[in-house]
Amino acid sequence: MEPKNWVGKPLPRKEENRLLRGRGKFADDIKMREMLYLRFVRSPYAHARLLHLKLSSAEALSGVICTLSGREIEPLTQPFIEIGPEPCAKIRDYPLAIDKVRYQGEPVAAIVAESPQIADDAAELVEVEYDPLEPVLDAEQALSDGSILHESAGTNRVWNGIFEYGDLESAFRDAAYVVTIDRMHFHRFSSTPLENNVVIAQWDSKDDHLYYSCNNSFPSFAIQFLAAHLQLHIDKIRVQTADIGGSFGIKITNYPQMAVCALASKKAGGRPIKWVETRSEHMTSSAHGNERTFRDTRVALDKDGVITAISSRHIDDCGAYPRYEPLGCVIWSQVLPGVYRVKNLRIDFTQAVTNKCPVGPNRGYSRMQHLWFLERVTDICAHQLGIAPDQMRLRNYIRPEEFPYTTPNGCVYDSGNYPRMLALAKDLLDWDSWTKKRHEARSQGRWVGMGVGTTLDSGTNNFGQSQIVNPDAPFSGNSQGANCKLDIYGEVVVAVGSCPQGQGHETTAAQVVADVLNISPELVSVRTGFDTERNVHTGFSGTYASQFAVSGLSAVHGAAQKLRAEMRRLAAFVLKTNEDDVEFGAGPQGPELRAKSTGQAISYWGLANIVNVNSALLPPELHDITLNCRFVWRAPFKVPDKQKKFGNLTLTYAAQLHAAVVEIERDTFVPRILAYVAVDDCGMVINPPIVEGQVYGATAHGIGAALMENCVYDAAGNMLTSTFSDYTPITALNMPRIQYGHIETPSPHSYSGAKGMGEGGAAPLHTISAALQDALSGEGIVIADSFNNGDTLFRAIVGKQIYQAAHIVSLERRS
Amino acid sequence: MPIKLSGEFEVRKTPDEVYEFLTDPAKFAPLLPDFESITVEDASHFVVRVKLGVSHIKGTAAVKMELAQAERPSRAQYKGQGAIAGGHFSLVAAFDLLAAVGGTKVNWQGEAQIFGRLISLAGGLVEPLAKKNIKKLIDALQGALT
Repeated sequence: MEPKNWVGKPLPRKEENRLLRGRGKFADDIKMREMLYLRFVRSPYAHARLLHLKLSSAEALSGVICTLSGREIEPLTQPFIEIGPEPCAKIRDYPLAIDKVRYQGEPVAAIVAESPQIADDAAELVEVEYDPLEPVLDAEQALSDGSILHESAGTNRVWNGIFEYGDLESAFRDAAYVVTIDRMHFHRFSSTPLENNVVIAQWDSKDDHLYYSCNNSFPSFAIQFLAAHLQLHIDKIRVQTADIGGSFGIKITNYPQMAVCALASKKAGGRPIKWVETRSEHMTSSAHGNERTFRDTRVALDKDGVITAISSRHIDDCGAYPRYEPLGCVIWSQVLPGVYRVKNLRIDFTQAVTNKCPVGPNRGYSRMQHLWFLERVTDICAHQLGIAPDQMRLRNYIRPEEFPYTTPNGCVYDSGNYPRMLALAKDLLDWDSWTKKRHEARSQGRWVGMGVGTTLDSGTNNFGQSQIVNPDAPFSGNSQGANCKLDIYGEVVVAVGSCPQGQGHETTAAQVVADVLNISPELVSVRTGFDTERNVHTGFSGTYASQFAVSGLSAVHGAAQKLRAEMRRLAAFVLKTNEDDVEFGAGPQGPELRAKSTGQAISYWGLANIVNVNSALLPPELHDITLNCRFVWRAPFKVPDKQKKFGNLTLTYAAQLHAAVVEIERDTFVPRILAYVAVDDCGMVINPPIVEGQVYGATAHGIGAALMENCVYDAAGNMLTSTFSDYTPITALNMPRIQYGHIETPSPHSYSGAKGMGEGGAAPLHTISAALQDALSGEGIVIADSFNNGDTLFRAIVGKQIYQAAHIVSLERRS
Repeated sequence: MPIKLSGEFEVRKTPDEVYEFLTDPAKFAPLLPDFESITVEDASHFVVRVKLGVSHIKGTAAVKMELAQAERPSRAQYKGQGAIAGGHFSLVAAFDLLAAVGGTKVNWQGEAQIFGRLISLAGGLVEPLAKKNIKKLIDALQGALT
């Protein structure tokens, strides 16, 4: 059999057969004997003292097994670990409120019953007395500490740090232009996976082990938090995931609910407990993406419109509890200058708690807010200086010949070619033709605009960046584990420490192994989901941060190579030849290893038989062969310089360049997309349809976020968009036609030249903001918020209430 | 967002008589729209059970009431809290009494605030309902004091 390169081929996904036929196995599909059902009682208040909690009526209802309150679990547990240093470290975070509630939807009690319906009824019988407090709903307001959420911390400030690089003083002194932008705002939204959070927990008293079946998407992180919280040895916690209906990062932070389910199981005598989150629970109390406000931005530019310095103050709203935060306070700095050459930057970054749902990683986590900021800065400066926004970008892009490019804070952009992406996007959009159409439309009084958004999807992060946030944080580097084996009957079986949620890991892992062993991907079985007891995972295992193509597949590749080496050695012994004489191929009975010199061959089954059940044939010098090979891939990172906030924070930098034409209807003010192009560069593509699918998914999320999806709170802290009727997530019906294109700039940092991808850098947010800016530039309006719908545009254009350029932007021209 | 309403009316009774009526839960509480029952806890605390419904969300709410200010014969203020499916609510009702020709002028202020999913599900219906119920209460008060 001639060697084939399966990597790069457009193979159909192995997962498709079961997922598209409704045969996926999701956590809620699991039924267990004596299973009980848990329901949370949640706070209607955003901020209130918890005066009295009466559970007796609920407990008296037939079918109720037990209840749990914050007061009950407090002495049984430790507060969850806080990643940040003080004051963040002083926050006492428990999964059930103890004496205070801090966001609407915060759990105050849990009911365990024989059926979900009984648990629902019992939850209605719980009497809770609250003393409402002034809610804090704005991060800037929170920093005044007028009403403090966490008295133990003494402040609403979670973290503050200044990221300063280069020589700003000289840059501003020598600038030809200085643009000042008073305030911009990146709104709060979520990614609404199809499947909500699900947890099944069983604290088995027979072996004092805790067993989870769930859809957490970063289990190796979750068990570190759970072990410390539950005061249980980490090796006694088994987490299994199967198919997961999307996460986009949101399911990383469902460990508090996992903790409650565990404690409930223990109280219920070890019976398994299932909790299935409702959509409204998910919307109010799962996790949202970070909301960020950008204040006092100053931009220095030279006479040609090249940005030479940016100074700004960023305030991040992490909701009521930091949880995975304040990692977001540093993660954005993976893309500090975005795609631009600017060398002098100063970002004063502060994070605050507010009486809103806690945030969590959300597709494009922390970077998209910063990239949107940079794209708005670039776009606004272009308009101020009268430079076409596409030309502005060409003047400022990092040039292709500059790669690998080291950013001012020490990150190394592996490869890229942004001008080529822009050229391709303009070509696909038919930019020149649309420019003419836009001119005609404007002469008819229509608001038509064209925009470009260039963005990065940094993947495989260096957890050493956590030490920039907290010098004592015990994390750095990144790794992933995989196992590749021949089982007793000679089947090639792969297990990885990832927990895919639709990214096609089974397919791409099979492609990699098939190339190494020179077999068809159909002959490679890839185990679905995550299982701590497979023992392939590392402390970083999970699926997040655009990294599987690099970390996961590098681990698979390494494990497959180890297996290949063992198979070759064993075959050489059996075939009585030397290893160089052994080739991999296929014979009449399937895959085999053959001696080129004699034509003799041994099948995979034959090799597996000798090692596993016929081992007396093995000479002592081959006793180290197991045909069961674990490989841990480690990213080549160093610990960053904590003081200077300097170092390589991410391994690969995929890029997205989107271009759009939008029109704002004059009667309704509703923005509509007339044309849309998405160009992607994720290095060497492993499976084109999978990459294209992820580009479409990320584009849909971004368009939804830009035009439709917004977590709205009223002044009392009520979340007004807690159902899909109000939140209006994007659907296929709202999607415009997307023209997709891609280029490949191979990454030197991965064995295959691939880069991690899938988050999309929130490119549509940047692009649509830019296109709206272009459409409304004649109206004296600056798009200063990432969310724009008919209502906000009406208030800007007619009401003159928001986005008024005179209030937001000023330009200083120097001779 | 709090719902705030205010108004005034005149009755023929003296401020002392009006004050007496307003601060007696047994007289005042039954005037609440869809009143079901009252449990008096002490001189300034009582629990009223009323029927409440917003669109398809219907039920009985136990409203814990407190006579928070009692300044004979010029002012009475109630504060209350209750819960129905999908939400909690708090209310403040204050009455300032002024002697007038032939009776008493009653200046009243009401403030209600709803918390919880109810606002998301039926927020647009809450304010008209609150206004309707407050009008019913004021009409009933006027009737009882005339």
